Amino acid sequence: MKTIINLLKIAIVVFAFAWITSCESVLDEPPLNTAFTEDVDYTNSDNMILPVIGAYEAFYTRGWEEFPLISVRGDDVNHGGLGDQQDFAETDKFNYNKDFWMYNSVWQNEYRDIFTFHSAMEEVEKYREYANNDALANQYIAEAQVLRAFLMFQLSRVWGRIFIPTNSVPTDLLVAEPASKDEVMQHISEQMDEAAASLPGVHPGERTDIPGGVTKYTALAIKALANLELKNYQAVADATSAIIKSGKFSLEEDFYNLFKIPGKLSNENILEMQYSDFGQGSGDSKSYLFGFFGPQGAFYKPKVTGAGGGWGFYEPSVKWIKFMLDRGEVVRLQTSVLFTPRGIAEIKSDAEYATLPDWISNETPSGDVVLDYPRAMFASGKHYLPSDQLIPGRTAYGSNNNFRCIRYAEILLMHAEALTQGASGTGMTADQAVNAVRERAGLDPLSGVTLNQVMDEKFAELAMEWGIRYYDMIRLGRTDQLSYDGRTFTDDKTFLPYPQNQVDVLPNLEK
Amino acid sequence: MQALQGKVAGMQVVSSGEPGSSPTIRVRGIGSYPGIGDTNPLYVVDGMFVDNIGFLNPADIETISVLKDASAAAIYGVEAANGVILIETTSGKKNQKARITYDGYYGVQVAQNMVKMANAEQFTAMALESGSDPDVSYILNAMQRYGRSRINPKVPDVNTDWYNEILRMGNKQNHSLSVTGGSERASYSIGANYFSEQGILDMKNEYERFNLRSKIDYDATDWLTIGGNVLFSNALQYQPDNSAWSRAYWAVPVFPAIDELNTDAWPVPYGDAQVLGYRGSQNPFTSMDFSNDQAKERRTLANFYTQLEIIPEKLTFKTSYNSIFISSLNRNVRLPYYITENYKRDVEDASISKSTNTWFKQIWDNVLTYNDSFGDHNVTVMVGSEYRDDAWDYLTARGLEFPYENEESWFIDQSLTKPEESVRDSGSRYYGLSYFGRISYNYMNRYLLYGTFRADGTSKYQEKWGYFPTVGAGWVVSEERFMENVDLIDYLKVRASWGKLGNNSVPASDGASTTSVVTVALNDVLTSGTSTSSNFSYLKWEVTEEINVGFTTHLFDSKLTLDADYYIRDTENAVISIQVPLIGQTVRRSLGVIRNSGFELGLNWTNEISNDLSYQVGVNVSTLNNEVLNLYGQEYIDGGSAEFRQRTMIGEPLLAFFGWETDGIYQTWNEISNDPIAVENNLEPGDFRYKDQQAEGEEGYGVIDGEDRVILGSYLPTLTYGGNLGITYKDIELSASIFGQTGNKILNRRRGEIIWTADLNMDADLAINRTQIELDESNNVVRVIESGKYPSSKGLRKGWNQKMSDYLVEDGSFFRIQNVQLAYNLHDKQWFGVNMPDFKVTLTAERPLTVFKYNGFNPEVSDGIDRQTYPIPAVYTVGLNVTF
Repeated sequence: MKTIINLLKIAIVVFAFAWITSCESVLDEPPLNTAFTEDVDYTNSDNMILPVIGAYEAFYTRGWEEFPLISVRGDDVNHGGLGDQQDFAETDKFNYNKDFWMYNSVWQNEYRDIFTFHSAMEEVEKYREYANNDALANQYIAEAQVLRAFLMFQLSRVWGRIFIPTNSVPTDLLVAEPASKDEVMQHISEQMDEAAASLPGVHPGERTDIPGGVTKYTALAIKALANLELKNYQAVADATSAIIKSGKFSLEEDFYNLFKIPGKLSNENILEMQYSDFGQGSGDSKSYLFGFFGPQGAFYKPKVTGAGGGWGFYEPSVKWIKFMLDRGEVVRLQTSVLFTPRGIAEIKSDAEYATLPDWISNETPSGDVVLDYPRAMFASGKHYLPSDQLIPGRTAYGSNNNFRCIRYAEILLMHAEALTQGASGTGMTADQAVNAVRERAGLDPLSGVTLNQVMDEKFAELAMEWGIRYYDMIRLGRTDQLSYDGRTFTDDKTFLPYPQNQVDVLPNLEK
Repeated sequence: MQALQGKVAGMQVVSSGEPGSSPTIRVRGIGSYPGIGDTNPLYVVDGMFVDNIGFLNPADIETISVLKDASAAAIYGVEAANGVILIETTSGKKNQKARITYDGYYGVQVAQNMVKMANAEQFTAMALESGSDPDVSYILNAMQRYGRSRINPKVPDVNTDWYNEILRMGNKQNHSLSVTGGSERASYSIGANYFSEQGILDMKNEYERFNLRSKIDYDATDWLTIGGNVLFSNALQYQPDNSAWSRAYWAVPVFPAIDELNTDAWPVPYGDAQVLGYRGSQNPFTSMDFSNDQAKERRTLANFYTQLEIIPEKLTFKTSYNSIFISSLNRNVRLPYYITENYKRDVEDASISKSTNTWFKQIWDNVLTYNDSFGDHNVTVMVGSEYRDDAWDYLTARGLEFPYENEESWFIDQSLTKPEESVRDSGSRYYGLSYFGRISYNYMNRYLLYGTFRADGTSKYQEKWGYFPTVGAGWVVSEERFMENVDLIDYLKVRASWGKLGNNSVPASDGASTTSVVTVALNDVLTSGTSTSSNFSYLKWEVTEEINVGFTTHLFDSKLTLDADYYIRDTENAVISIQVPLIGQTVRRSLGVIRNSGFELGLNWTNEISNDLSYQVGVNVSTLNNEVLNLYGQEYIDGGSAEFRQRTMIGEPLLAFFGWETDGIYQTWNEISNDPIAVENNLEPGDFRYKDQQAEGEEGYGVIDGEDRVILGSYLPTLTYGGNLGITYKDIELSASIFGQTGNKILNRRRGEIIWTADLNMDADLAINRTQIELDESNNVVRVIESGKYPSSKGLRKGWNQKMSDYLVEDGSFFRIQNVQLAYNLHDKQWFGVNMPDFKVTLTAERPLTVFKYNGFNPEVSDGIDRQTYPIPAVYTVGLNVTF
């Protein structure tokens, strides 16, 4: 009996140890709730579109600080938001601080998306093998290229000399040299030529697979913008002519609603960032933080009660408002600016503007009233959504609205500028282009337009949009315009300094 | 757990103060990178491995010991790399008559060490000197709405002390009953415990827990012993909405908690700072009244073992199975309210969010032990294996617009809208496998030698297996013949050990690129796509290598005990977060070698003065020197955040604070114009002057830039000390323990918040000790009226004064009386001829006093970055222990 017990004991011991040894394979179990890229089935060609949609998601997800930092330094708009974000106000006055969190954040947000676009392109390449549709694969890759080009364009306009990534691995750039702004613009121009060849020749709203996505004309538009920076006016005219001749785009009759819900995917928009409340008063929502631009909530009396206000930043400048009043503008001035009683008083305090047209009031054409608020005197009307256009139940300022990036009006004016700078174009003459824009704005036509008149038209039409005015003045060397209202611009202030955080990680930036 | 604070050298207990939460414990400084790995030590409760002991009733704890060096911890496996805390709960003894014990206490919690916030007068002064017209207009709005103060007509007639409004005294009680005993073959311990605690935030904020435990050991036959230990715990917690604390901190004092002028408000007309023009509504009461966060946590811990004696007295085999099952159900409800148009939660936005978390951890251990003696030689050999299986599952969903009036209807099923995007699940499952062997030998119990070898495998990291040896030796010098006549020394043992151990608590890494689903709006239709990330963490085993030498001695008839140790502990392949260039994301790599070294000293003196009076005094001191030895080729690795830089450099502590040194404040325009740096940067009187680290002639002199940054200090303390005192006189016992630390710095992250939002309240110290300035109509500085420690109010809003500097990095030294207890014992008494049970009545004060200079609520900040906006309460209790 004892022997049996002893044998039993030994057997138990041996079993215990042996069982554990046999379990060793569990150490190779993969982590849960992660889809490893190497497990993706690339033979399923219907999925080739997924990385591209992922690229749009990255493009549409923007931080509120990006657009303001890019756009604030022109003489069309001031920082607003008095008392808040001191360094942002200083940036508007050309006093830069490389430790300011916004610079670092904008740099990182844009580069992160550029690497995401590269990732998307690499994924599409893996699908191409099995897809048997090279044209479609090329189109998807071209779409990512266009989105990438738009962000690189903004980065280079702000910082000048930047890195040009070639793949999705950021650490590869640790040993790379940054490229000059001209090199970046040239690179963008070549990329857009390549992309345009593979993209459909339709209006973005006409696309059925990715409605509102990029098309051949988006690529050409970015090519035109890049060449404008290079002062390569012929290339600009070639690109703008192609867009004009396609006949796919036209100016929106209703300038006021162009920037609002009815203007989503309008015939005038060439590139926009899409957001939506999906027709619901609550629940899922994709949105841009328009609140940044709204009048301060406590002092905003919307027609539809419950609609929210905003933070009071991004104030149209008095200089621009007076410029528009001098031109007798109604449509564009009324759309672009939300007035406050204090702001109106400020304009009137100048003897030359003591009497203002009747329509200037602190009640918007949609019936929302803006009382005096301490942070700014005016708010940007191009980023304003009337309370009666909100879906009932939604209260965030600008909810459901898209964010416009490139409009046909800008293409027409670039076309006109290129022609007045000596390039030759087709589709429209400089006069026709400028007058199309003027007619929509309710102004009389001009004949024999000069460069100055085109630039004035750009100032009137494109104020507060993506810093176009600031970069135009830099390009044409008219920087005296930027020294207004107490500011002093000097050429060394053209670009922002690299964020300290980036220099710490990438010493090649400052060499 | 708080009871251990100050009692053991080299152990740091960082308390959190929230009801039902357990403090963070750190043994021997820190090897792992904070925020990445779990730096908690391993808790072994009755042979069961648990992650934290918050659920344990302190009255059930019979012994606690702390294993600190690698060789002692090697037996406990890979989670022991951060130290081991061994806890034995009360168990019965064989042949012991049943003993019934009741232990209970009742107490109150009171907020302590509150940070004084600026009052209305100080806040108004700051606003008037801020250089921001909007901020001045908000004060004027407050005066218009609420009137002017009678004491000072330049200040609004509202002076809200927000913390005063939201605090209350909380209570705490604990009752436990246990029965222990044993027969010839069995011993048992069974107990039940009820605990409840109310937090000091004046909202539904409490914790209630009921535990049942049973521990049985039985000698079935002369060669078979079996045992089982089960603990069941059921807890219900209402968590405070912590946003209430931060709102109370930041809320300006110039608007009231209740504002009758908000006539449309329901259910209560709370005040709204937005009405005055401030960016946020700031009132903490909406977070307190309209949030309901409930957590139900049920735990079952079980341990069953079988011990076989194969060769009597020599060879035994023990197999034990441990399992921990935790189920946690969270329900977070946000109720609707209306204060003003811009401060409300509509009925459509009332939300209910539920999540379930289930953890199931299993460990199966097998150990074969052989011990034998050959004459004076004694040998023990141990061989073992362990299998670990750690699983977690998670599911969450959210509903909007639900019938909020009655709690019975708080279900997602009753909600009108159920956002698709909010339904998520997740899970993880990690496995581990270990083999270990140990040999220990001693000669005459005088010379000791031991060695361990472990092979540990895990599914968490890319490198699966690690191999870890340890050796140790000891010499009981007092047993030697030449020590026989030394009367002074009763006992002296010298010891040394060396070992390597892997750290299993570093979170798992993906190891490869992953693809996830994202959604986007295309023409108002929600569309799905995929996003691929090529940034992933790739990790190997993080290994700590430790050398320890020390001695223990008993002197003066064992009245004095002294323990001294010197240790060097290197963490290799330390997991460090590195910033991926350009994109601001971080990935973890096994990237460096970090060294912790220091002395640990423990002294204990007991003395009996007479039969009635005796006392005991204990002191422990430990030093810590943390240094980065190697970064595998990198000059430095940046951590922390871009605005509050922490840099890991060779020769300096891990993640040391890195910034500029201030050098006073500019007082006059004369000073400004004479300093080219001030002119260059458009400074004004009231701004900081920073130290130019380069000397004249060196490159970079005359400019304040990134090159002028230096190491400002480390968040790790260089010296921690503790002490305890006990006096017993007849039936009365008095005991006290203290704890303190120095050498650590804290980043006052709250003072850095101004970088993003400027229209909030500030701490009173900042307002009182600012540099007072006079401004002209254009808000330019005219002159300094009175100098101060801090920049002017206008200066604080400027980027120049918001640099990471020694203004934000403060000294975190503190001294605390951890607890004081007075106890009265009654035993062997008789009442009316009947034998009474033993009574013990105690009065305890926990954390009655903490002394520190730091401008915050709590100088114990585990990672050095202090955002805390709530106080740590002191607790005063009355207790009773009755043993039948």
